[in-house]
Amino acid sequence: MYVKRLAVIGAGTMGADIAYVAANAGIPVVLKDVQQEVLDRAQRHIYDLFENRVKRGRITGEQAEARRQHIQYTTENGLLSDVSLAIEAVSENLDLKKSVFRELDQVLPPLSLIASNTSALPISALASVTGRPDRVAGFHFFFPAHMMKLIEIVQGEETSRETVETLRRLAEELRKIPVLVKDSPGFIVNRVLMAAMAEVLRFQEETGVSYADIDQAVARAKIAPMGPFVLADALGLDVTLEVAETLAAHYGERFGPANQLQQLVKQGHLGIKSGHGFYAY
Amino acid sequence: MPSDWEQQLIRRFTLATFLEAVRLFEEGIAAPEDVDLAMRAGAGLAEGPFHWADARGLDVVLEELEMLAAEVGPRFQPPASLRERVQRGQLGVRTGRGYMTYVRRSRRQTEEGE
Repeated sequence: MYVKRLAVIGAGTMGADIAYVAANAGIPVVLKDVQQEVLDRAQRHIYDLFENRVKRGRITGEQAEARRQHIQYTTENGLLSDVSLAIEAVSENLDLKKSVFRELDQVLPPLSLIASNTSALPISALASVTGRPDRVAGFHFFFPAHMMKLIEIVQGEETSRETVETLRRLAEELRKIPVLVKDSPGFIVNRVLMAAMAEVLRFQEETGVSYADIDQAVARAKIAPMGPFVLADALGLDVTLEVAETLAAHYGERFGPANQLQQLVKQGHLGIKSGHGFYAY
Repeated sequence: MPSDWEQQLIRRFTLATFLEAVRLFEEGIAAPEDVDLAMRAGAGLAEGPFHWADARGLDVVLEELEMLAAEVGPRFQPPASLRERVQRGQLGVRTGRGYMTYVRRSRRQTEEGE
């Protein structure tokens, strides 16, 4: 099956970026949110993204305008009746996502696929509230989705091979790099990244080497684009702690969040967004 | 020349990355090729963990893990799939086969998994 027209549900930063990526690849998109002001903000964000491409000489003004026209903004379900795929990108809350999935299952054509952009919640739990669990999968973009190339296609217990193939083709059409992963906490990237981060935190605690020295050593060795402490501050220490706790609960103590991280979050130091984390900003 | 603590840090970072990647493979969650792609495109690593190990030589990686398990803790115990490959003489790029398969005289990897 080919995705001729898709819907993105939830017009926050992630949802807006995904709509932009699809429109930029020439695929008609319906971008839906329950709040008009969120849609307006998304529209301005998408306008800026296209303008940037024009400024950098990648596309002409006419092309930008034509691609912008691929996106329809709506607060209603009416426009969803002929899409072949809906990508859910609402907040990371299982009950909220389940209610979105139930609603989509009612309003989408019976053969359409439903994908979730979740980075943390189990796909099989979302699939189970629909009458089409074989047509449900994860389609996990990375932040910022208009730049990052990777998409993790997450296969739930009942996800069919055809669903996976359709999503793989779509990812390629979007000029992204798809990988396949079975439904499990952290999928690939967050799980491996957090395992390495936990090890570096343990190293720091044991040796007392400063955060800055460790970050510089990692950058100097050219093994990762930035050191783990800079990265954690950028992600948000509260988010990092939550992911570490979830992974520790599933996979064991090797993910156990380090004391430094717990202390900082307890003190309200959440990284760049609060002005203080492993570093002061 | 990196200092001792730096070498130890990099060793623990890269081997912890590799061990978690191997768990994904041993648990049947993702193929080595996909894990490598994901870690490069999604986390910006310079090299995927399986290619890193295959290029270094799985026998070398096995030895490093045994040392680290003794020095730092049992969480660095070498995984079963690594021991099996070393026993079979599948040492990585050098022998044409490790976690992935390599076509001789070409850096292209085949699509064949395990």
